[in-house]
Amino acid sequence: MSKIVTKIQDGSAPRSAARVGIGGPVGSGKTALIERLIPALGACGIESAVVTNDLVTKEDAKRLQSSGLISPDRVMAVEAGACPHTIIREDPTLNIAAADELARKFPQADVIFIESGGDNLASTFSLDLVDYWMFVIDTGAGDDIPRKKGPGIVRSDLLVINKIDLAPHVGANLELMKREAREVRSGRPMVLTNCRDNIGIDDLVGKLRHDVLFVGA
Amino acid sequence: MTKSADMTLAAFQHADSFFPSAAVSFSWGLEALSNRGLVATRDDLSKFVNAQLIHRWAGFDRPVLVHAHAAAPELAALAELDFLVEAQTLAREQREGSRRMGAALLSVHAKLATPGAEDFLSDVQRGDACGHLAVAQGLVWRQLGFDAELVQLMAAHGMCTGLLGAAVRLAIIGHVDAQLILREMHRSVENVLAQPVCGPDALNSFVPQTEIASMNHETDDMRLFAN
Repeated sequence: MSKIVTKIQDGSAPRSAARVGIGGPVGSGKTALIERLIPALGACGIESAVVTNDLVTKEDAKRLQSSGLISPDRVMAVEAGACPHTIIREDPTLNIAAADELARKFPQADVIFIESGGDNLASTFSLDLVDYWMFVIDTGAGDDIPRKKGPGIVRSDLLVINKIDLAPHVGANLELMKREAREVRSGRPMVLTNCRDNIGIDDLVGKLRHDVLFVGA
Repeated sequence: MTKSADMTLAAFQHADSFFPSAAVSFSWGLEALSNRGLVATRDDLSKFVNAQLIHRWAGFDRPVLVHAHAAAPELAALAELDFLVEAQTLAREQREGSRRMGAALLSVHAKLATPGAEDFLSDVQRGDACGHLAVAQGLVWRQLGFDAELVQLMAAHGMCTGLLGAAVRLAIIGHVDAQLILREMHRSVENVLAQPVCGPDALNSFVPQTEIASMNHETDDMRLFAN
């Protein structure tokens, strides 16, 4: 039985929080997804902390800190130096340091999300940084994204297709996206979300509980 | 493999930008100077890098590195040097950048099982030391068997490539000019290393424009870098 499961079931300590990477292109909805996940996980008794990798400003960190969803000191920003892919892949040292610091300050946290600053389809997370990673794309960027087969789409532990409500308005064929994503992912899971209306979030929480926190596994 | 080849390859490994040092996130005042149009051309940049080398690194980081290298692995002596760096680095972002990069270096070396890295990192996490970059470099590179001259070359090279890499990403220069300026810096590094190293009681630097820019950077809206 994992340490996390033990803690969730009997409240014992110590153990370390699971580290979950959230990658995907700029504007795909990564921050919005975290804003939905924090309260949904909290309702299950699962506590979160967040490391953001803002590209140019501290916009994402400030947005989460002022959201009222999470204590501001549970959110830390790491600067990407114009290389968002580097600090989650080749040189994740500052992200590891930030996650370590959050884990020390908040030993009760169950999950630490590490949100990439946004990059192209080639970005991946170092397995020294995260235990599990999801890749977020959105229908607004075009329904051909899954068949472009970036490593985030093909290899991530979980693919999230977000903004499904926009598909009919931007001429995106959602069924095509789902089919082609299934084909390139060789059976790895996928979730469809519309963060604005909280659609798909329960499904996503279920995946995280089962695959990351091993609740009911 | 000969011992010499083994050591040379090890130096390549630890001085290479492929080594996870966190350097990619820091510009050491360059972003703020660029944002204000104070470093805008190849010539400006060349002067900036040279000034950082001669007026900061040579009289400050270099002696700290050399004395840390000599003191390693005595953690108390390293901590003493560390607090000197802390007290004498004026701009907050420069101070924090040095601490963050030092801690990142120690953290990687702890995972690589470099002797002393984990113990010193523990001291840093307890607040018994600060973990400034030059001190951390002195410790881990001494433990890997690099001599005092080599660690100075590695650190000077890392400083120059860090600044030039940031300049390329800030679109001040292209990749060819970066290599040309780096080659120009080799002569400056050689000249610096020909000078004697000052004692810890004589650490000195004079880069006021960079320090003021670093202070301004704290509240800049556009921030690609941590400093």
